[in-house]
Amino acid sequence: MNPAPQSQLLIDRAQVSFGGFIAISDLTLGVGQGELRCLIGPNGAGKTTALDVICGKTKLSAGEVRFRDKPIHRLSEHSIARAGIGRKFQVPSVFRELSVRDNLYIGRSGQPGILANLFSFGQSGEKEEIERLAALVGLQDELETPAAFLSHGQTQWLEIALILAQNPLLILMDEPTAGMTQQETKKTAELFCRLRGKHTLIVVEHDMGFVRDIAQTISVMHQGKMLAEGTIAEIEANQAVRDAYLGSGGIGHA
Amino acid sequence: MPVQGKNKVSGKTKLEIAVYAAVCLAILALPLVLHDAFLLNKYARYLVLGILAVSLSLSWGYAGILNLGQATTFGLGSYCMAMALKLKTIPIHTGADGLPDFMVWNNVPELPWFWKPFYSMTFGVAAGIVVPMLFAALLGWFMFRGRVTGVYAAITTLAAMVVVQLLIIDQQAYTGGFNGITDLAQFDVAGFTFDAYSSSSYYLVAICLTVSLFLALAVTKSKTGLIVQAIRDQEDRVRFFGYDVALYQIFIFSVSAAIAGLAGMLYTIVMEFASPTFLGVPLSLSVVIWVAVGGRQSLLGAMLGALVVTGTQGALSESETFLDSWTLIMGLLFVLVVLFLPKGIAGAVEKLAGKFGHRRAAPVPPPQLQPQRTEAVANTRHAESLS
Ligand SMILES: Nc1ncnc2c1ncn2[C@@H]1O[C@H](COP(=O)(O)OP(=O)(O)OP(=O)(O)O)[C@@H](O)[C@H]1O
Ligand SMILES: [Mg+2]
Repeated sequence: MNPAPQSQLLIDRAQVSFGGFIAISDLTLGVGQGELRCLIGPNGAGKTTALDVICGKTKLSAGEVRFRDKPIHRLSEHSIARAGIGRKFQVPSVFRELSVRDNLYIGRSGQPGILANLFSFGQSGEKEEIERLAALVGLQDELETPAAFLSHGQTQWLEIALILAQNPLLILMDEPTAGMTQQETKKTAELFCRLRGKHTLIVVEHDMGFVRDIAQTISVMHQGKMLAEGTIAEIEANQAVRDAYLGSGGIGHA
Repeated sequence: MPVQGKNKVSGKTKLEIAVYAAVCLAILALPLVLHDAFLLNKYARYLVLGILAVSLSLSWGYAGILNLGQATTFGLGSYCMAMALKLKTIPIHTGADGLPDFMVWNNVPELPWFWKPFYSMTFGVAAGIVVPMLFAALLGWFMFRGRVTGVYAAITTLAAMVVVQLLIIDQQAYTGGFNGITDLAQFDVAGFTFDAYSSSSYYLVAICLTVSLFLALAVTKSKTGLIVQAIRDQEDRVRFFGYDVALYQIFIFSVSAAIAGLAGMLYTIVMEFASPTFLGVPLSLSVVIWVAVGGRQSLLGAMLGALVVTGTQGALSESETFLDSWTLIMGLLFVLVVLFLPKGIAGAVEKLAGKFGHRRAAPVPPPQLQPQRTEAVANTRHAESLS
C-alpha cells in the first residue's frame, strides 16, 4: 500500500472532518502518471470526498495532497484546475441554459483570464476542436441544443467532453456511467482506455463490469479509509473487501 | 489575441444586431418628427432610465446577480455630474468665496478637497463612471470573494444603497442633504451647450444609449460574457475549469455599475439637479420591475421594458384617477409577468419567433427518447435540490 515514489498525485495521510464527523481518516493514495486507477467502495465510503479533496472542493483537516511534487491542498479551486486537474461530478454538472457548443467552448479553458476572453468571439480558433470533441462523444448533431434538453446519458457524455476540452493532466471521474445504457457504458469504457497513458485518470465507479473493462489497479475504500489495493482478481479474492461489501449485496451492487 | 475578422458571426447574432440597430435608429430619428421641447426632455428621461435597465440586465439577467441597489451607482454618477455642473455656476449661484450656495448656508468656510477636482468637467465625467465602478468593485470584492450569492447578495446591495443614501443626506454641508444639488449650469462640451429642453440633449442621451447597448451586447457575446452566463447556471462547474469566478463576477458587476453611472450623469443633465431620491429604494425596485417585464436576459428587452413601464406611468399619472392607483397597477403588472412570462416580453417574443421559424426545422424527438428526457429533467431537479 505504500505509494510509489514516482506518483504524479499523492494523497498523504489525509483527514476530512465535517463538523466533527470524520468522513476520511488517514487516507493515503498514490497514482502514477498515465495510470488509470479505479476507486471503489460501498456507499458512504468517502470516494466522492476523496475526489473533492484533490480538486479543492473540500479542505483537509490534516495531511496533504501533492501533485507533481507540489502541495496543492491549500490552493483555491481555480488554481488547482489550472495546475492540470479536471473533475467530473457525480451528479452531472453542465450549463443547462447554454448550447452544447457553448458548453464546450467554456470547457476550453486554457486561457482563463477576463481580458483575453473579452476579445474572443464566436469560438475564435476553437471551432474545429469543439466539433471534434462533440463527435467524440456522439453529440455532433446536438451542437446547438441547450444542454437542458439532453438525455441523462448524453449529459454525462457532455460533461466528459467538457473535461476533455479542458485537457487536464489528471482527470477525476465520479461515477461517469451512472444512468447510461449498457451500450453507452461500453463506449465510455473504450474511450477511457484510449485516454489512459495520455492522461492520468481516477475513476470512481460502482459498475464492476465497467471496472473490469478499464482497470489496471483498483483501490478500495471503506469507512473513510483505504481498505485494499490490487488487481481485479486480488480485490475479488480479498476477504476484508468481501466483508466490507457484506450487507450491501456484494461488490457491484453497492 | 485572436484575429476576429476570420470568425463568422452566427445568423442569430446577425439578426440580433440588426434588431438592436433598428431600434436605436428609430430612437435617434425621433427628433426629426418631434419638435416639442418638453416632450423631448420627457423622452430623454425615459431613455436614461432605459440605459439604467440595460445595466441591471447585465448583472441580473446575464450574471444572475440581483442587484437591488442598482440605483446606488446611478446616483453616484448623477452626483458627480451635479458637482461639476454646480461649480460651473460660480459666481451666479455661489457666495462671496465661490462656494456653492448650500455650502454658504451651511457655513462651510472653503470648498472641501474632494470637490476641488470637479472644477474640471473632464474629471467630473470620468468620475461619473469611475466612482460607481470602484464602488461596485469594492462591494463585489467583499461579496464574491466571500461567496455571497442569491438572496444574500441582493440584500447586501440593498443595504449598501441605504447606507450611501443616508450618508449623502446626513452630510448636508457637502452634498446638499435632502435637497440634493440644484441650480446647475448646463452641460457643455467645447463651447457647445446641451440645453435640457432641446434636441441636443435628447441626441446626447440617445447616442449614449446606443453606445451602452452595443457595448453591453459585445460583452455578452464575448467568451467572457459566456463564462458569466455559465457562472449563473453552475458556479462550481466554472470554477473547476480554472476560471476565477469571483473575478468574473466583480468584472461584470463593475461594468454594470459603469453603465449605471453614465445613466446617472445623463439624468442630472436632463433633470437639471441631483437628489438623494436617485439612490432610493423606490427607484431601485422600479428598475427590477422594468427589467423583469422587458425580459432580464435581453438587453434590448430590459431597455424597452423601462420605456414601456415608465411611459405608461407618465401617461397615467397625468390623469387624476390613476395617480394613486399607479403603484397598485405596477405591482399587479409585476406579479402577472413573474407568473406568466418568466423571461419577460423579450422571452415571449423570442419563443413566438422560434415557433414560427423552426416549425419545420426542429424534428420531433423519436418516441423512445422521450421518457429518457423527462428522466434527465427529473434527475437534475433532484440534483439542484441537493446542492
Ligand atoms: N458536506 C458534508 N457534510 C457532512 N457529511 C458529509 C458531507 N459530504 C459527505 N458527507 C458524509 O461523508 C461520508 C462520505 O461521503 P461520500 O460522498 O464521500 O461517499 P461516497 O463513497 O462517494 O458514496 P457514494 O457511493 O454513495 O457516492 C458519508 O457518510 C457522507 O454522509
Ligand atoms: Mg460519491
